[in-house]
Amino acid sequence: MVLAASFVEDLVRGTLQGLPPGAVYGLIAIGFVLAYKTSGVFNLAFGAQAYVSAALYFQARNEWGWSNLAAFVLAVVVVAPAIGLVLERLIFRHLPPGSSLAKLVIAIGLSVALPNLFELIVGFEPVAGRTPEGLLPNGAGVFYDPLGLYSFSRDELTALVVAVLGAAALAALFRFTAIGLQMRAVVESPRMTELNGIRADRVSAFSWALSSFFAGLAGVLIAPRFNTLSAPDFFNLVVVAIAAAAIGKLVSLPRALAGGLGLGVAIAIIDTFLPRIVERQQWLEPIQENVTPAVPFIVLFALVTLWPELRSSKEQTDPLAGVDPPPPTPAALTRSPWLTRITIVFAVCFFLVAGLVVFLRADASWLFVVTQAVILSTIYLSITVLTGFAGQISLCQGAFAAIGGFTVFQLADRFGMSVLVGAVVGACIAAAVSALLALPLVRLGRVWVAIATLAFAAFFDAVVVKLPFVGGGGTSLLQGTRVPRPVIGPWDLADDKAFLVLAVLVFAVAAYVVSAVKTGTVGRTLAALRGSEVASRSIGISPTRARVTAFAISGFLAGLGGAMLSIQQKNVNYASNFAPFAALFWLVLVVSLGARTVEGAAYAGASFSLMDRIIFQGTFIGWILRSEDRIPGVFPLSPKWRFVLFGLTTIAFAKHPEGLVENGKRNAHVRMAKLSARRDAHREPSADDAVPGEAVA
Amino acid sequence: MTAVLEARGVTKTFAGITALSSVSLEVQPGERVGLIGPNGAGKTTFFNCLLGVLAPDRGTVLLEGDDVSDLPVHVRSRRGIGRTFQRIELFGESTVREHLLIAERVRRGDGSLWRDLLGRGRPRADELEACDEVLELLGLARLADEPIEHLSLGQGRLVEVGRALMTRPKLLLLDEPSSGLDRRETADLAATLRTVQDEQGFAILLVEHDVELVSSFTERSYVLDFGSLIAEGPTHEVLASAAVREAYLGPEVDAP
Amino acid sequence: MTDVLTLDGVSAGYGPFHALFDVSLAVAPGEAVALLGANGVGKTTVARVASGLVAPERGQVRVEGADLTGAAPHRFVRAGVAHATEGRSVFASLNVEENLRLSFRRALGARGVAGALDQAFEQFPALARRRAQLAGDLSGGEQRMLSMARVLVEAPKLLIADELSLGLAPIIVDEIYAQLERLRAEGTALLIVEQHVSHALALCDRVLLLEHGTIIWEGPPADAADRVVARIFEHGEAG
Repeated sequence: MVLAASFVEDLVRGTLQGLPPGAVYGLIAIGFVLAYKTSGVFNLAFGAQAYVSAALYFQARNEWGWSNLAAFVLAVVVVAPAIGLVLERLIFRHLPPGSSLAKLVIAIGLSVALPNLFELIVGFEPVAGRTPEGLLPNGAGVFYDPLGLYSFSRDELTALVVAVLGAAALAALFRFTAIGLQMRAVVESPRMTELNGIRADRVSAFSWALSSFFAGLAGVLIAPRFNTLSAPDFFNLVVVAIAAAAIGKLVSLPRALAGGLGLGVAIAIIDTFLPRIVERQQWLEPIQENVTPAVPFIVLFALVTLWPELRSSKEQTDPLAGVDPPPPTPAALTRSPWLTRITIVFAVCFFLVAGLVVFLRADASWLFVVTQAVILSTIYLSITVLTGFAGQISLCQGAFAAIGGFTVFQLADRFGMSVLVGAVVGACIAAAVSALLALPLVRLGRVWVAIATLAFAAFFDAVVVKLPFVGGGGTSLLQGTRVPRPVIGPWDLADDKAFLVLAVLVFAVAAYVVSAVKTGTVGRTLAALRGSEVASRSIGISPTRARVTAFAISGFLAGLGGAMLSIQQKNVNYASNFAPFAALFWLVLVVSLGARTVEGAAYAGASFSLMDRIIFQGTFIGWILRSEDRIPGVFPLSPKWRFVLFGLTTIAFAKHPEGLVENGKRNAHVRMAKLSARRDAHREPSADDAVPGEAVA
Repeated sequence: MTAVLEARGVTKTFAGITALSSVSLEVQPGERVGLIGPNGAGKTTFFNCLLGVLAPDRGTVLLEGDDVSDLPVHVRSRRGIGRTFQRIELFGESTVREHLLIAERVRRGDGSLWRDLLGRGRPRADELEACDEVLELLGLARLADEPIEHLSLGQGRLVEVGRALMTRPKLLLLDEPSSGLDRRETADLAATLRTVQDEQGFAILLVEHDVELVSSFTERSYVLDFGSLIAEGPTHEVLASAAVREAYLGPEVDAP
Repeated sequence: MTDVLTLDGVSAGYGPFHALFDVSLAVAPGEAVALLGANGVGKTTVARVASGLVAPERGQVRVEGADLTGAAPHRFVRAGVAHATEGRSVFASLNVEENLRLSFRRALGARGVAGALDQAFEQFPALARRRAQLAGDLSGGEQRMLSMARVLVEAPKLLIADELSLGLAPIIVDEIYAQLERLRAEGTALLIVEQHVSHALALCDRVLLLEHGTIIWEGPPADAADRVVARIFEHGEAG
């Protein structure tokens, strides 16, 4: 009996303990569902919006000395909905319904751009150790202990109460009010809502304001849980919240809250009882610490891949979608071969000259960034294959790259193996993991592939990295994950110039692989699938085989690049190089600049590591003006502008999925063609200028 | 002689509503068969059951006598079903020739990642030749290097036919090929199809609502209405029957 | 008397795809006009232009003389134009009652909703039995009744009915046409787009025949039957 009593007591305590974090997951899950339900956007930028309000509240309260209430009004009541309104008005209103992939990509861009833009405007810097404070005075210092089992802090209780009230209020709003009904109607079909005499654009603006308000509210309420305010933490929390929301099938607010609370409680209970089981079952010990952080991600991955109803729950198509004109087709590919050749020759010359200058003149820090640019370009080629060729958005390329890096580290550390052999082995392991991961994903829609890979990235981040045979476990905390530089015969690649040559060679091989794939069977099969899956299947293409191949190639390239990056930095540096949030920016860069070509990846690599050095610090202006003293006062610009710039560029994805570079070239070509046509027309008016086949009804 | 395609008792319900009830049909080699019916009669559902896009609740589909009911779409197409689409489905951002080339490569089944990496993934001379033959046959040779976005709807539909022909089908399923085309374009398409079919000898199953095309193009027809076959037989007899007129025009009009 | 709807030299399409070429038509108050033609000739586009769903590239759209060219659909609704669209024209993710509430609330204000609901369910007992069911789970006929119920409570000046009989059993088509007849008796003008011609011909005052985005014939229903049949079945030359 005693045993049973203590068991019950532990169970209740575990449950209580799980409620505060559960309330946090629930709060964000509610907001996420709200956004999804009312705007149809898979709003990964929700965390960024929450972060902005939390940081603004903190800034107003602590830096500007405002009262709690005034800071709350500014951050949550004014600014948060305003952000929503601006996003709706400037971006999302103009996207055609049904462009869910474009919306997702833009949301990813925004989750990179928004926090940085905010920090630049307000001058906010996250400072370690300055814990954010809650809404009520002394929220972290006053405790309540109703059952004598667990004390809730005032902050925790506030979050819990607001979460429950918020879910109830929103559910009531949807069920009983006119505007609630209109919001649900608009998300299904704005045009049919209009046919009921309702102004759909106003309703959707209200939806955005409301869900952004909720993001701000959630941000301020959950901030006290963190030691330091930082955008990546908020992003990671959103991934957990998506798991909670998925339990509610992404549409039910009460079930999203229940999902959040359930996750929190489940984790707390596992934490309570698992150590006791491990006492008896020693072999479980290594996984003990890693089970609970993994729970939400495993849940999310499993729900996405195994629960078809989840995916179909919101696929209610707009019956009036046919009213919209078909998406503008990209201005064709009639680029003449000689123009392509000229571009290539020009690029090769440019890179040869630039390379020579770097090789002969550059100092160590320039060599470092140039080498980094080359290696990152190799990694970015993995995105070219997967996103550009196969049309799939993967948010776990960072994990594949990290697999390469950690393999090199482990093989060198344990077996003293050559790092170059390690790099190849690492790339192969990454390819195998990637292909395995692809198997359950090949049948999913593109948005769901993105979510499932995000779950995998978060799982890798929370669990796999901490395993001794991957990230090195406890010892690596002290010693780091050191990686030596290789020696090939007479060449010691500890020399940075020699290593740059190696990096260029590896990139060249990767670029060859990618272009051979592009022109070969695999690339053309993927292009067909990207164009039309039904038509591809009708000529005998197996989507499974083609996509698994794409994932494997992509994993290989990412792993190879990740290994090279670790060798260059002589350390894996997982957190700064490969963490999920860092890797989001990779995708943003490549998609913005051009996911379809090798050049696009090269530009992305250069932008990542060189833009700051060359442009933002004013170096380039200095070269042009031939004097460092005459660089205008606005320089140096903060490197954060890079994130803002490329984050916002994703907005163009809806219209130009092929990226800025390709689009620019295309425009240039069209202009040249027009110019030469005009010249020809001058010479002799020709009757034979009929455009082949203007589509006529 | 074994039928190229045989459907036996295909039944499909959606959310309790019967979209198809026990539809049976067969197509002999080299034959041109029509499947007609007013909008919403279940033609598309039936079509999708034949192809494997939908799994019927009951019934079987046989290709040259083999039961293919459990095979996925791409395997059925390798077994000899080619098709076109009502709402045209082309591969964006590629040329006309590229559409045919990829179909040819898939049919040969000799492309692989390793060959690509060895630089042997590019289109080969004999493949190009095979494509050009079909393009010539369809009168598309002039447009071979045009990006697909430059084509008219009628030309696009021909590209779909060409793409399907590259798989050397035993049966070509045409899904409402006249939709979006005017009468002249429809007639041209029909004439081209007839020429190609005479040359290659495959069978055609034409799903259409345009009665004119069906009557001029097919020898035999099946008529679907509310998910059931209401008539079958020689096309001209079928079209003259009162039941079919009623299905199309509603009950009260007196036929002239 | 001002025409309730006027299309004046309208050309319209979807991006590069042109569906209508220089279409002019007018519907007088209380008049019933049938717009007939084979599939894909632009009938639905005419309906969409008339309710503001598609903005014309050229030409003018007037409702009771007021120029609404390019205006959003809600302004057409407020001017008295109702449009029962082709295919599913109800919100699948809302239940039957919510579908009705959505339009009643706007048209009649918060107080009028309850009365209007009672009235609608009285007229359509089949819907009353399913009031809490998602509209997406209704049969095609029930969905069509639901969209009629939304229109019937407050009779519009013009109802555009696009392919109301599509895919429905004859008995349900009869019922829907009976409702249209009632509306007409109350003074609502009708623009009926149909592929099935018999019902439309029985109800209408005037017939427009559309082919390839142009009106090719206009006249009384008595003369129309033969031409329509010829068009759809024999493709004989008409007009």
